[in-house]
Amino acid sequence: MLAVQTILDGLVLGGLYALAAVGFSLIFGVLGVVNLSHGAIVMMGAYLTWFIWHTTGLDPLLAIPPVMLVLFGFGYIYQRGLIQLAVDRSSLMASMLVTFGVALMLRNLLVLVFSPDFKSITPGYAFSFLRIGGVTIDLVRMSALGASLALLGALAWVLNRTRIGRVIRATAQQELAARLCGVNARHVYAVTFGVSAAFAGASGAILGIVLPFSPPDEANWTLNAFVVVVLGGVGSPSGALLGGLLLGLISTGTSQLIGPAFPNAMMFLILVLMLLVRPAGLLGNAFAASR
Amino acid sequence: MIAEALVRQRWWIALAVLGIAVLAAVPFVLMPFHVRVGQLILLSTALGLAWTLLGGFAGYWSFGHTAFIGLGAFAAGLFETTVLGAAFMRANPLTGLGIGLLFAMAVCAVAAALVAWPILRLRGIYFAVAMLGIAQVLSELTNSIDAFRGSLGLVFPRIAAFGLRQEAVFYYLLLIATAAILAIAFLVKNARIGQGLAAMREDEDTARMLGVPTERYKISVFVLSATLTGALGVIYAHSLGYITTGSVYRTDFSLNMIVYNLLGGIGTLIGPMIGAVIMVLLTQVVLGSFLNLHMFLTGAMLVALVVAAPRGIVGTWQAWRRRRHGA
Repeated sequence: MLAVQTILDGLVLGGLYALAAVGFSLIFGVLGVVNLSHGAIVMMGAYLTWFIWHTTGLDPLLAIPPVMLVLFGFGYIYQRGLIQLAVDRSSLMASMLVTFGVALMLRNLLVLVFSPDFKSITPGYAFSFLRIGGVTIDLVRMSALGASLALLGALAWVLNRTRIGRVIRATAQQELAARLCGVNARHVYAVTFGVSAAFAGASGAILGIVLPFSPPDEANWTLNAFVVVVLGGVGSPSGALLGGLLLGLISTGTSQLIGPAFPNAMMFLILVLMLLVRPAGLLGNAFAASR
Repeated sequence: MIAEALVRQRWWIALAVLGIAVLAAVPFVLMPFHVRVGQLILLSTALGLAWTLLGGFAGYWSFGHTAFIGLGAFAAGLFETTVLGAAFMRANPLTGLGIGLLFAMAVCAVAAALVAWPILRLRGIYFAVAMLGIAQVLSELTNSIDAFRGSLGLVFPRIAAFGLRQEAVFYYLLLIATAAILAIAFLVKNARIGQGLAAMREDEDTARMLGVPTERYKISVFVLSATLTGALGVIYAHSLGYITTGSVYRTDFSLNMIVYNLLGGIGTLIGPMIGAVIMVLLTQVVLGSFLNLHMFLTGAMLVALVVAAPRGIVGTWQAWRRRRHGA
């Protein structure tokens, strides 16, 4: 029963990891930018949701659409106004430095506005659960997993079935060719960034229901996203889902078998091992250029 | 090659020696608060130089060098409290610091040598993120494993030697460390390894093809950079008197090392020094009253720098001079 419980918890956490990483993966796949402020955007989503829930009492899951909208706007402006500028003026490496700087600015702002204390979002159904056999199924966690999977599915549908999704994929494959076909590449990059920020925000909202959070967590969420992408591959929701679920299982398995202090160390170990042994990721499309 | 460089750059060397001599007089002239600012400037300069050994010369930008500040600080602290003991440390604090320093440098060297081979196979952003991960994990392990006392904290005894006040003692320790690191960086830059590293930074595959032992060079310079950073961490921890995980494993240290180099000019010796002096004066003296905004301001500074002057002060100045001579 303990094993089943561990696997179940791992899947819930994994769904969250997958959702938090999918935007990071999209930006890396389409723009080639490593967005070190991704975790900070996740935290922004969590705090926005907390703020909405705290002031209006709106259900955190219902707060997801407005949070996504706000962060889409933020991401669009952030890319078009700043990151594109850095890429144009120097290099991709420089753009990574810019995102590092922005991550610190955002973290500092969150501490100033919301204080460095831990916050958590507890809707009315927070402590209800089902018990099947010896396994406890927490309703909040189940709804979190459901929301994560639904959002990932929606993103996959947008990328594969809609016009803007096709344009994004075309730009990722061949920027020049896409532009020759009349695609406004800069706009597409900014939209991609906006979509990524929106999904980071949604994952922040769900994260807030499942775990307590504080501003310095952002570094962990950025690293998690990196590990997920290394495991699952770049640029696709299905890769993020595979990587995220694996990471969730590894994480809960490590806390269960080795100790609650070690999941992050284990994740990092896996990150380095993967980069060394198989930099292209399990599915074979990540980080071919790592060395 | 070094002999040539010594002759060619004799004026710069004379200037550096003169500068160190002038700086040595500072604690006798200035107020204790200004001596503390001086400490911070020296620490920052030395950190910038230690980072540049790897980031500037070899082109391997570490985003997590604070890993070695923390590792050094905790290695020395744990050695001093558990092996040497509190009584010994109170009786001869300076000897204790020396022994702790040597031990911590050895720990940093070994740790760096262990991770060097796997991690230096990664390039560019992958190396940067891997270092970020190392710093994160070390800080978390220090915090959560009770034996390392990361959350409980470590206490260092006060040091007042040779009739000097505490802040003057640390000022001189940092001055010696800075001078030593500057000398080491000068030697590395002008020796055969420095030429090899410069070739590697421009194009690693070509350098390797032309017979530069890239693997050996980058591992040695990584270990050297880590050891020197660790030594600075030890001195910094002693000057604080009491450390927890959060006071030595600081992301803003990692960030600042990059900012100093970026502001001054990457790949030079004078660059990180100029950058460190400007940044410390700016953040500590000019913006001293906005302590809770420090991280925000360093982040903003980094963003502004990358966008406005990606080659730093030295690079911009060189370009300006070239343009004038060329025209």
